[in-house]
Amino acid sequence: MALLDLLLVVGIIAGVYSLLAIGMNMHWGDTGLLNFAHAAFFAVGAYTSAILTTPTPEAGLLAERVVGFDLPVAVGIVAGTVLAAVLGFVIATTSVRLEGDYLAMVTLSSAELVRLVIHNEAWLTTGAQTLKNIPRPMESTVATLPVSYDVFYFLLVWGLVGVCYLLFERMSNGPFGRVLHAIRENDDVALALGKDVTQFKLKSFAIGAGVAGLAGTLWAHYVYAISPVMFLPSITFLIWAAVIIGGAGSYAGAIVGAVVIVLLRQVTRFIPGSVPFSDQMSYLRLMLVGVVLVAVLYYRPEGLLGNAERLQAGTSEGD
Amino acid sequence: MVLDPQFVWNGIVVGSIISVSALGLTLIFGILNFINIAYGDYMATGAYLAFAVNAQMGLPLAVAIAAGVVGMAAGAVLIDKLVFEHFRTSSPVTLLIVSIGIAFFIRNLIRAIWGPSGNFYDVPIEANPNLFGVRYSVEQLSIIVASLLLLTAVYVLLRRTRIGIAMRAASDDRTLTRIRGVDTERLVLYVWIAGGAIAGLGGIMLGLDAQIRPNMGFTALIPIFAATILGGIGDPKGAVAGGFAIGILQEVSVVVVPSEYKFAVALAALIVGLLLRPDGLFGEATR
Amino acid sequence: MTLLSVDGLRKTFGGIVAVEDVSFDVERQDIVGVIGPNGAGKSTTFRLLTGFHTPDAGTVEFDGEDVTDLSPDARARKGMIRTFQIAQELTGMSVMQNMLLAAQGHPGERAVTSALGIGGTSAFEADQRDQAEELLQLLELWELRDEYAGNLSGGQRKLLELGRSLMADPDLLLLDEPMAGINPDLTDRLLERILELRDERDMTFLFVEHDIDAVMRVADTVVGMHNGAVLSMGTPEEVQSDDRMLEAYLGGEV
Repeated sequence: MALLDLLLVVGIIAGVYSLLAIGMNMHWGDTGLLNFAHAAFFAVGAYTSAILTTPTPEAGLLAERVVGFDLPVAVGIVAGTVLAAVLGFVIATTSVRLEGDYLAMVTLSSAELVRLVIHNEAWLTTGAQTLKNIPRPMESTVATLPVSYDVFYFLLVWGLVGVCYLLFERMSNGPFGRVLHAIRENDDVALALGKDVTQFKLKSFAIGAGVAGLAGTLWAHYVYAISPVMFLPSITFLIWAAVIIGGAGSYAGAIVGAVVIVLLRQVTRFIPGSVPFSDQMSYLRLMLVGVVLVAVLYYRPEGLLGNAERLQAGTSEGD
Repeated sequence: MVLDPQFVWNGIVVGSIISVSALGLTLIFGILNFINIAYGDYMATGAYLAFAVNAQMGLPLAVAIAAGVVGMAAGAVLIDKLVFEHFRTSSPVTLLIVSIGIAFFIRNLIRAIWGPSGNFYDVPIEANPNLFGVRYSVEQLSIIVASLLLLTAVYVLLRRTRIGIAMRAASDDRTLTRIRGVDTERLVLYVWIAGGAIAGLGGIMLGLDAQIRPNMGFTALIPIFAATILGGIGDPKGAVAGGFAIGILQEVSVVVVPSEYKFAVALAALIVGLLLRPDGLFGEATR
Repeated sequence: MTLLSVDGLRKTFGGIVAVEDVSFDVERQDIVGVIGPNGAGKSTTFRLLTGFHTPDAGTVEFDGEDVTDLSPDARARKGMIRTFQIAQELTGMSVMQNMLLAAQGHPGERAVTSALGIGGTSAFEADQRDQAEELLQLLELWELRDEYAGNLSGGQRKLLELGRSLMADPDLLLLDEPMAGINPDLTDRLLERILELRDERDMTFLFVEHDIDAVMRVADTVVGMHNGAVLSMGTPEEVQSDDRMLEAYLGGEV
């Protein structure tokens, strides 16, 4: 029974990471954009929803924050998703014309700026303190059901992963994705064929950021309490690792990669009893993530579910 | 508005650290043509090696600095042999992602060995002397002296030695150098030695100025990136100028910007720099 | 009727003049060949026409409208479609996807319509597939429709690029050395096809070409360039018999 509970928790985290990876795959896998701001989209989703769905703190309690709206969770989730998409759009407008490496640095820096704002504007976000008492959706209703809340949340998260998977697959395989793929391959060609490349990049950025925001809202409403240290750039890097390991360009791969990353990070939790070096375990697991990432890039550059043939097309010949 | 000389002094100290670090990053970029995300963690490694020798083994700081610098130079070569060498023909983006994997490995190795919390070097604590109303510390003075020594040494290396001249040529045009019969693999070896040593020194300087923490290098990466870009990626002279510019700008900005947002100045400089001068301060970037 | 009017184009790179005072008109349904020795400024002119370079001076008018300041994609949407000298096929996309990409005004290129398959996406897509099939059959690429474009031979890539441009149904097709790397047999058929398209689809062609024989066979008007300027202009016969052109070719690399 305890094992099942643990599996549910790990499964919920894996679902949230899957949504993040789906967004990243639209950026990198479909469009070839080096987005290193994912942690910021995740954070904006989480904080937006948390601020909208918690009441204005009473004086004395969480004294620093003066804003709260006590709105329904559904409103928070939608608003968090939309605001993250808007942030994606804004970050992209400053930088999307830049070449790959530059884009990586500017997005990474922008994400840190967002975290700095969250950290410092305590009136809005409780600052470095923890923003607590974030409501869980339908908690009282679920309490009357014969299943635990985690079962409900697991199904909710993975239901949304399923919906997003279908929508993103269709976008990717449809005419919209075709243009994104063309931009990934060679944006001069897309330009020559009349595609407004900048516009498509902005849309890609906003849509992918939006789904990362959705992940953030789901995270916030699951964990009750959030703080800026949850949204360090290492989240962005972990999602990169997930997309690369799963196979860039494949949405199924993004989900598999996310699950692999979460399992790598959580695996020692499944070992019963006391573990030697238990203090060091979490660090060793992250070292393992690094090793797996490099190994995949070396032995299987297309990733677990990526398309090797596509990567190789055009590399053998041509002038 | 009167500019407080204290802020300028602080800016020069921070600028020295950024300049030195940006120099190493840009040298590596010039030859290997990719952004090494693990560079910040190279810096942290240098700082921790020096910490082990200084605070844990009780040897003098000068010995510790030498150990950190030499150790990280060797470490950079080792990482190249173990990992990067196998990706020599890969695209810059692949290399960037490989470096993410290395960054994860190094940072968490540091945490596993030395723990997650902050540490300090064992330096005598003295009251900070005061000169013309500017407070300065022995650490700050040594940071500036070390950076000037290093910048001079690198200048001489790049201008006067065969290998340095080859490095500069390769940074400008890699295929051309290969045609002229320069052994690129040897060049790569030297650039890792130089880049690793500089990263190590930058990390130690950072640790002297503030605290030694596992993510110290990573958090410092953004101003370093900004300096590198502002100077034009791959351009050593530009990286140094960019480093001092950003360091001073960042510290002086506290007059107008709340100090929590000091770091945003580097970001603003980075974005404005990219939009206005994509080729860097001196306009001779590799791209 | 004039479709494209180029007036006084000038472009310098770091103080070196690449193109100086280039002016010419292209009439509707004309086939115009731009020739000249290496370094004559053909490629720069081509990039100025297609919006991939911005001129320092001069104007480009298309269909009576000043397009000098328009971006490449905006020009393409107005009906000026270009190809690339080195075939820029999208290697990681199939031949069919390459073709379909060129469709203009595709309702499914919006994220929402693409995700939900609404707004006439599938009907439009089906129609484009039919057109693509017809062109691929003609170019003998139909059998390869599901192959990654990166796996095609050099000649096939050129053909795919041509086919893709035709999918955009341009008013003016700008071809950058379309014959390079294609076997002579196919060259003949392509030239024939270009003549047919002009009549069937009311198309106009401008191409920069090294293969002077090909130019002489199909072009109505030839623009001869040298040292960044237009040296000679007229019917193929006129330009061919212009001594200055001969000199230009003999003086430089042939």
